[in-house]
Amino acid sequence: MFWKSMQATFVRNFTSQIRAYPMSFFIGNLLTALYSVLSAWFMYQLLFKGQLNPSFQDLAGTSDYISYVIIGSAVYALSVRTCLNVSRSLITELREGTLESLMLTPFSRYGYFAGNMLQQTVTSLAEVCLAFLICIPFGFQAGAFSLGGFLIALGASLYAFFGMSMVLGAVMLYTRDTYISQNTLFVFMYLVSGVLFPSGYLPNALATVTRLIPLGPALDVVRASVFGIESQSSFISTITFLLVIGTLYTGVGFISMKHIENIALEKIFG
Amino acid sequence: MIKINNVSKIYEMKEGNNPFKRKKIEKLAVSQLNMQIEKGKIVGLLGVNGAGKTTTIKMISTLLEPTSGNITIDGEDVVKNRMEIKKRVNMITGGERMIYWRLTGRENLMYFGKLYGIEKSVLESRINKLVSLVGLEKSIDIPVERYSKGMKQRLQIARGMINDPDYLMLDEPTLGLDAPIAKEIRTYIRSLAEKEGKGVLLTSHYIPEVEELCDYIYVVHEGQLLFEGTSKTLSSQVFDTKKYVFETSALKDEKLKAFYDFAQSLQANIQIDEEDGLQRIVLESRLDCHEALMNYIHKNRFLIHNFRVDEADLESSIIELSRRLA
Repeated sequence: MFWKSMQATFVRNFTSQIRAYPMSFFIGNLLTALYSVLSAWFMYQLLFKGQLNPSFQDLAGTSDYISYVIIGSAVYALSVRTCLNVSRSLITELREGTLESLMLTPFSRYGYFAGNMLQQTVTSLAEVCLAFLICIPFGFQAGAFSLGGFLIALGASLYAFFGMSMVLGAVMLYTRDTYISQNTLFVFMYLVSGVLFPSGYLPNALATVTRLIPLGPALDVVRASVFGIESQSSFISTITFLLVIGTLYTGVGFISMKHIENIALEKIFG
Repeated sequence: MIKINNVSKIYEMKEGNNPFKRKKIEKLAVSQLNMQIEKGKIVGLLGVNGAGKTTTIKMISTLLEPTSGNITIDGEDVVKNRMEIKKRVNMITGGERMIYWRLTGRENLMYFGKLYGIEKSVLESRINKLVSLVGLEKSIDIPVERYSKGMKQRLQIARGMINDPDYLMLDEPTLGLDAPIAKEIRTYIRSLAEKEGKGVLLTSHYIPEVEELCDYIYVVHEGQLLFEGTSKTLSSQVFDTKKYVFETSALKDEKLKAFYDFAQSLQANIQIDEEDGLQRIVLESRLDCHEALMNYIHKNRFLIHNFRVDEADLESSIIELSRRLA
């Protein structure tokens, strides 16, 4: 049932997306990545005059600020696209009036969400690659790129994003809100997870809290795989952390989602 | 068989405009309901809006859990064996929701079929059969957003049959359909019960549909069961009089007086209208006057032009019942 639900949901979403591709949303995401890199480029060139505090290299693991921001923006865009669409899959069903017909079937929850995630990953990766290509002329340099490390980092990051989207989805379904919950989280993620600057600059308490959001560790491992993995053990421990936190979020998300589904179905009446 | 045993459903809702000071209230939607739906039978569930019909259907379909009591389907509890039960029941509601508008009709049916775990070859042949049943052959491969209201409803019906359920919950299934299609659907519903042995629970505001299809009827009001039985027993319980209507050549003087006396002996009220030299007589009584009236007419050599016994139909029974409860 898992595979059938996953495959069916993947095909359904893909077909719907091809038929009504959200071009404005895509352009919005592309522009967000472009603006982030553009503003970082202006700051770096005009404000910092190419000079960075030596602490940046210690905290970021690179002295290449532009490449740091380009990767930050790309991974942030990927996390937003996957989390956003997977987390709002059930509330979208509720709004479009298909939640009941879905819940009538003995579908696999894991398969359903995995199908949503897989389709979003394929689409988002294509979009993020495009955004990445646009940003390359600003001065991206890969350093010591490791394909194996990159794929492991990407896989672990997507798994953790999936877990986070389950929790976010449960919140959205319960509150019947997508705007406040998603935008609050995404703005917070953007500011504190190390997209534009290392989270080591943040106060200790806040930096610790930000580790609970998978985007921070995801950025660490993706950047390490692009700029060069300095510490093998640190890379592995961050990957492990992403897998653990992803599993934890997935568990919490699924348990709460099951309960909240019942509440949502009752709210259709109430 | 579906057995609903002392089932109640209470919704918890929040009331008030201030989001920080919302009062929790409880609404009793279904109260101590007992019902049975046998395989091969069509059972009607009637009641005014808010009576608890849809809640009952949703509880049987596993969408809602009863607050108390239990529902079993062929001996299995719907809450404890939810995933298994889902394969054996389905629900069709009136309206345009419950289907994906960006997908074509066929893509919708494929999607739902796969969620039931149906094998591709079985699914494809079932889809073709259902599409021809609901008359969507020409439009099955265009996106649903281009469908008319009736076409969406027909697709809904096909979706509800996609898992070949043993029991089918139909909540206003012919809502918005053209008369010929609605008639075809009714014929199909009848054949589902009679030929394929499926148990059907039907709610409809179109009472003649219920009267035509249902073997047994439950009437609910504010969540409570008011009546159960056939449409005839409902009529006889709601209306305890019968009307005998006939037209005859004008009765005059002594013959008319004698008829009034006869009616009085039957504890009947009579109403006489005269038109074009004919009298239309309505005799209404709690007693069964049929034989006595026939004998009287024969003995007194009335020239009868028309004779009929008016028994209340289901629609007038429901209207009368609602009037009394209002």
